[in-house]
Amino acid sequence: MAKNILGYRASPSLGFVPAFAFIGFFALLPAVATFVLSFTDSTGSRGIPVNFIGIDNYLRFFESTGSNRISNALGNTLVFAILTTILINVFAFLIAVLLNRQNKFAVLTRSVVFLPTVLGVAVVGMIWTLFFNPLGGPAQSFLGIFGTQSAFLGDQSIAFGLVIFVNLWMYVGYSVIIYTAGLQAVPADLYEAAEIDGANWAQRTRLITLPMIAPAVTTNVLISIIGSLQSYQLIFVLTGAANPATSVLALELYRIAFGSGGTIPQQGLASAISMVQFVMIGVIAITLFIILRRREEQL
Amino acid sequence: MTVTTKKEAKPRRTERTPRAVKVGLAAGTFFVLFAFAFPVAYVLNTALKSQQDYFSNISGLTTTFAFSNFLDAFAQVDFGRYLLNSAGYTLTAATIGTALSLLVAFPISRRLMRGSAVWNGVFVLMLFLPITLVAQYQMLIQLGLYNSPIGYGLLLTASVGISPLLITGYLRSIPLEMDESAALDGVGYFRYLFTFIVRLAMPALVTAFILQALASWNEVILATVILAERQYYPAAVGLLAFSTQYAVNWPLLSAATIIVALPIIVLYASLQRYFIGGALNGAFKG
Repeated sequence: MAKNILGYRASPSLGFVPAFAFIGFFALLPAVATFVLSFTDSTGSRGIPVNFIGIDNYLRFFESTGSNRISNALGNTLVFAILTTILINVFAFLIAVLLNRQNKFAVLTRSVVFLPTVLGVAVVGMIWTLFFNPLGGPAQSFLGIFGTQSAFLGDQSIAFGLVIFVNLWMYVGYSVIIYTAGLQAVPADLYEAAEIDGANWAQRTRLITLPMIAPAVTTNVLISIIGSLQSYQLIFVLTGAANPATSVLALELYRIAFGSGGTIPQQGLASAISMVQFVMIGVIAITLFIILRRREEQL
Repeated sequence: MTVTTKKEAKPRRTERTPRAVKVGLAAGTFFVLFAFAFPVAYVLNTALKSQQDYFSNISGLTTTFAFSNFLDAFAQVDFGRYLLNSAGYTLTAATIGTALSLLVAFPISRRLMRGSAVWNGVFVLMLFLPITLVAQYQMLIQLGLYNSPIGYGLLLTASVGISPLLITGYLRSIPLEMDESAALDGVGYFRYLFTFIVRLAMPALVTAFILQALASWNEVILATVILAERQYYPAAVGLLAFSTQYAVNWPLLSAATIIVALPIIVLYASLQRYFIGGALNGAFKG
């Protein structure tokens, strides 16, 4: 057998093929299976026959009226994604500019801001459940100063807002890191030159900082929009899957597929939701990418 | 002439960092630090209160330093088992997952496989797959691995995420001369990969390992779907199950939260550059 530079020619394949087969089997194949399942009435229970029902599941998604839980979740998903993307990017940019110094205090603060992203949804969810504890958490004590009170996550009218806030708190550190990397790549002599020309802070930010970190803006906007369109784990922890006020598409998918309160699981319909969401995210991400790249070139 | 330029230069220099700006920056930094540290500190403070101390003085500092909450969390709800489960899932998934990523990354980086560029594209595509919760659930049922720690572990292991791309990128920076001299010395492919390359690519491998370990440790949805029995729960899901059961014992709940968070905080404090490197890598490849 012919040898390549590192022994037998077959050796690399001997490592590659089984490794890729394993990853493909458990990660890639389920994606294909999701597509197939979306055309069936599968319940996921053994013994119940599975029939192909064509595009019925997709029709159910799009025929949905105002009172429908799927369209409600779709609306929530879009609101959640747009607000999250705007808030995360504004706050991350401001925090990154504020902390863009090498003193110990700023470096420590940057580490603490990044901490929630690594703590995970269960811990972050518990921290804020405890914080918003209606029976006397710090948030309630704070409202007490003004002689008012709230049920917080239990209040249907503000629960969604609080979920968006906790999500911002959890993930803003990620974008801060990316903006910080972008800011540190801006050559300092550009600012010195601008200062000599008498440019003030606002002018320097608009004319130097923003154009120079435009690639970081593109990255951050794409990451936060894709991430927030897919996100549901944190909401699952904070308010559960059954609450329509905070339900997003992925969470509605979970509720439909695995049931809550004795309903028959509709895993075919859930798979169709997954496919629609996948296509929607793809279209939004690619469109935004093209627009942002064009803006970058103009700057 | 010289005097006037000096006079002009002087106010500019003080303008660069006037005292007011310095104070403003420090105050802003403190406010940000407070916003992110306070909720965590509040939970730690509550965890150190006894039940009575908590209800008599909800928002005050602990006076009891009741470490007994931590012991209770282990004694009353079997948190020790949940933590062991989590350690098992996390270490298995991250170790095997990183090894699998290396096995696919090396041939791609050296163009030893046909269509290496296509393979790279496949791994990029895999980052943007639809939610496969339902299909993975049905798959494990078919394989007889529903409610099995092995089934759950297999799914976590296969979730390699960004790792193959990250390792491929790093391996490209290792000169081909290394491969050639190893081959001349008669070193076999797998020995070369798992001794020489592992050592050379350590920063990328550690980053990949941490990313997958973190994702495994923090995973809650798959575990909720795949694992029916509490004895198999990872700590994060154990914490959530615990919270619905002991919803009134806030100090105990706080202690349990700290227990789940502590391993991550310790790791993060000691290996911070890998965490941040991982975030940046994920961002620019993704």
